[in-house]
Amino acid sequence: MILVELRKMVRSRRTWTTILLIDALPTLVAVLLAITDLGPRPGQGPAFLSAVLTDGTLFPLAALAIVLPLFLPIAVAITAGEAIAGESQAGTLRYMLIRPVGRTRLLVAKLVSVMSFVVLTVLVVAATAYVVGTLLLGKGDVTTGSTSISGTSLSTQELLLRTLLALAYAMLCMLGVAAIALFLSTVSESPLGAALGTLAVLIASTILLTLDAANALQPWLPTRYWLAFVDLFRDPILWRDVVRGVLLQLVYVVVFLAAGWANFTTKDITD
Amino acid sequence: MTSFNRWCAVALLVLLVAAVPIGVRAIPAHDERVSAADLLARIRASGDHPYSGYVESRGALELPVADRFTDIGALLGEQTRMRVWWAADHRWRVDKLLVSGETDLVQRGTLTTEWSYEQNEARRSADPDIRLPRTADLLPPALADRLLQDVDESELTRLDARRVAGRDALGLRLRPAAPQSSIDHVDLWADRETGIPLRVEVYGDPAAGPALTSAFRDFSAADPDPATVDFSPPAGAEVSYDNVLDIADAANQYAPVVPPDTLAGLAKSPSADRAVGVYGSGVTRILALPMRGREAGPLREQLLTTVGVRTARAGSLLSVGPLGVLLTGAGDDGGWLVVGTVTQETLLAAARDLATGVRPVPDAHIRHSLTRLRVDR
Repeated sequence: MILVELRKMVRSRRTWTTILLIDALPTLVAVLLAITDLGPRPGQGPAFLSAVLTDGTLFPLAALAIVLPLFLPIAVAITAGEAIAGESQAGTLRYMLIRPVGRTRLLVAKLVSVMSFVVLTVLVVAATAYVVGTLLLGKGDVTTGSTSISGTSLSTQELLLRTLLALAYAMLCMLGVAAIALFLSTVSESPLGAALGTLAVLIASTILLTLDAANALQPWLPTRYWLAFVDLFRDPILWRDVVRGVLLQLVYVVVFLAAGWANFTTKDITD
Repeated sequence: MTSFNRWCAVALLVLLVAAVPIGVRAIPAHDERVSAADLLARIRASGDHPYSGYVESRGALELPVADRFTDIGALLGEQTRMRVWWAADHRWRVDKLLVSGETDLVQRGTLTTEWSYEQNEARRSADPDIRLPRTADLLPPALADRLLQDVDESELTRLDARRVAGRDALGLRLRPAAPQSSIDHVDLWADRETGIPLRVEVYGDPAAGPALTSAFRDFSAADPDPATVDFSPPAGAEVSYDNVLDIADAANQYAPVVPPDTLAGLAKSPSADRAVGVYGSGVTRILALPMRGREAGPLREQLLTTVGVRTARAGSLLSVGPLGVLLTGAGDDGGWLVVGTVTQETLLAAARDLATGVRPVPDAHIRHSLTRLRVDR
């Protein structure tokens, strides 16, 4: 079942078109930076974007900071929102469940497929950004390595390890989005409704984060710790928000998957 | 399993997840029978104790200040996230954490290095006698040290203990007796074990909530790792040396005037012996800063467009929470910027004292300033 879903995802033209579109923005940014040599002013623009002018090996992180707030969650919400509701709308869900396939297994297979899409997208974005960054932007200093946000030197191994941690963290954040979308996909019969519902949750979370009156709610908002991956590049690493971000995303994943399971396993399938 | 049971299981899961942090926060603090005076002594004795941790400060003071005043508007009007490693008074590092980078202050002896990641530059400067507030001044121990200076025991009462950064902290309230003060009270909580202040709240109008709060969220009283406190500018970074740190330091070094020894009944601090005057102590303080026309003019213009500004004969007058701001003069004239945690009447009295008591700088200071000017060039 899982293999069937994975094969379907990898062979889908839409998967690759989406990845290409997500990848296009950071690539365009790299080209513009290389041509103009103009970084953002301090305190403005995505993290690491000012540093890539001198060290292109940091561009995968800048690319992550560019796509993580909006592009990636939209793609994940659409893909995960379609998982069950898409089958329902196309009228294929009934036929799938006639086969001796447990509903829980189908739900897990859909989740694995969505997660694989997230992993694939993040890796493609990071790999493209690395190639584009090292070809077009600054090469850094091979002898001293890269510079951490705190101004200390990071060896290539340290930079690689921290970059991999940041990518894994971003994937986990998107798993939280996928869990919400998958739950809504079991509730709604329209994939668009599930995707838009998920985006509404994320936009509400982003708005509440800017509101002082919502202080008490903020530690619980799904987007609260998304950009905490930047803390992995401080020296010493600031684990506080990263650990909280991981725990919060795990809570979202467990609660919304449980809700999705509770809803889907006893749902009347009419389409 | 029926649908009802499944949803019950989900509801139980949500309750469990929500209960864990609420339970952790509900752990009661252990108080101690210690008098306010003894707690004050314990806090003062903690002055040379090392510490490290993560601090969040939040100011509610919307100051109408321009770029010339560094980031003081953000420090007193927004949230600031900091990491600190404090080994000793002249050996520490304070990082101001930003979403896309950080600005670090590293102190070694009298030399301060400011590292800005986004600008890839390290600016060095000698710690001047007079300067504007900076991130390190917002740390609870630094803030408490300043606020409790020259405090009288009769102004202090004990508050209940509370948990701060996972530690038991003993509470102290300071209600200033000085009639000039615009501060209603200051609440602070000091670590029960070491006496280091962990949380400080400053109130102007108690009904409006704290005007400034600074608190540790993570705290350790262990000696910080020397490698963490050290800093060397990375290869490729721009390194510069600033002879003048900010507008207050510039005015103090070069303005050819000396303000009077007392303003509105508050005595001048002995360390402020040049153009910028610092008056009072503890929570009741005034800073008097001479400004040239090209600096005073735009600030005056900005003040006059701010809601709540009052135009008096002495100049433009504004209260931002407990902080009073007065700029003497009019139009594009130079003037004195008088800022302090004092009432508007006190500011007006200070302006009167300035109008009659300012003296030209003694020759020795002029010679010193000219020497500094030549060195700068």
